[in-house]
Amino acid sequence: MFALLLQEHAPEHAGETAGKFDAGKTIIDHVSNSGLDHPLIHLPTIAGIDFSVTKHVFMLWLVAAAVFIIVTATIRAYLKQDRLVPTGFMNALEALVEFIRDSIATPNVGRKWVNTYTPLLLTFFVFIFSANAIGLIPLFDVLGLVNHFVIHADEQSFLARVVHGGTTSTANYNVTGALATITFLSIIVAGTKAHGFVKHWMNLVPHGLAWPLYILLIPIELMGMFVKPFALTMRLAANMTGGHIAILAILSFVFIFTEMFSQAFAGIGVGLAVSVPLAVGISALEIIVVLVQAYVFTLLSAVFIGMAIHVHH
Amino acid sequence: MSEDDRGAPLARSLESFQENIRRSGPVASVGYALIGAILLCGGAGYALDSWRGTSPWFLLSGLLLGIIVGFYELAKTIWRR
Repeated sequence: MFALLLQEHAPEHAGETAGKFDAGKTIIDHVSNSGLDHPLIHLPTIAGIDFSVTKHVFMLWLVAAAVFIIVTATIRAYLKQDRLVPTGFMNALEALVEFIRDSIATPNVGRKWVNTYTPLLLTFFVFIFSANAIGLIPLFDVLGLVNHFVIHADEQSFLARVVHGGTTSTANYNVTGALATITFLSIIVAGTKAHGFVKHWMNLVPHGLAWPLYILLIPIELMGMFVKPFALTMRLAANMTGGHIAILAILSFVFIFTEMFSQAFAGIGVGLAVSVPLAVGISALEIIVVLVQAYVFTLLSAVFIGMAIHVHH
Repeated sequence: MSEDDRGAPLARSLESFQENIRRSGPVASVGYALIGAILLCGGAGYALDSWRGTSPWFLLSGLLLGIIVGFYELAKTIWRR
């Protein structure tokens, strides 16, 4: 519902609304995906699905490519050394791998399956963390400033489209939904690998109850299967969107006060006294949230996989 | 964790941190499962309502179902041990 709301507002631009500052519209315009009528790259519609690249898809590809290239290059360079001593970025990467393996994977999935599920959990963590963190860096906003004052790109050009605010791809429900679908499937795969296909589904419900209870319990358990990944989806996307909205809302006080007293001095005063310090504080909080959300997603995926492996009633 | 690390304070605190995580993980997930179930079932009910034009019956039963599923997940986690 919220995603629909966002999409409805996306095509309208805040700057064009008769000179009056509309905080809600500006914020929604900033955090939402670009509308399908203004995609970054036009691609044909295949089988009823529009494959045009929007802001969030572009960010997603950017993050995925960056993570893939950086991690692969680092590890290739590390393996080429004569003595396997990690240096520089490899040190950090190694610490991260060890942290995920020892404090997320091992306690939840158990020693037997650690090497099977650590790669998946690491991929989750590194990707989500990078996507969240890049969303905090105003890459495209800086590019937009440069464009505004120096380059003056054509309104229809790729550059002019891309600088309509940077975005966090993990703030889109579709991205987190896809990630949670991977978790959902890996729960089934984990249970099947550990107990066999039929036994995994039988493990879902408690054993040894009167048969009328099963008529009630089986649908509830099946619903519960979908609820867990759904909660993962909502939490990650909502957290990433929420932080951005909070920062933008506080910063828009400057413009609201300027308009209210119709002089720039009031706005600047409020900005210096309230908005900027608060926004800095929330940005600092966001850095923690970025880490914690990546961690929580990884941890809960590990917990769910572990619950499918170690069934106890 | 290897044997010779055991005395170090940092290693010990990391160990207890891991233990806390291991125990709090399922409980942390269930809080979200409760609200997630209500949102998911309620949303599905709302979608069915606006599709079939039967407001508010699917929404109400969806919410009820969501509450049942959410509390069932909660109860299952709490009474596990």
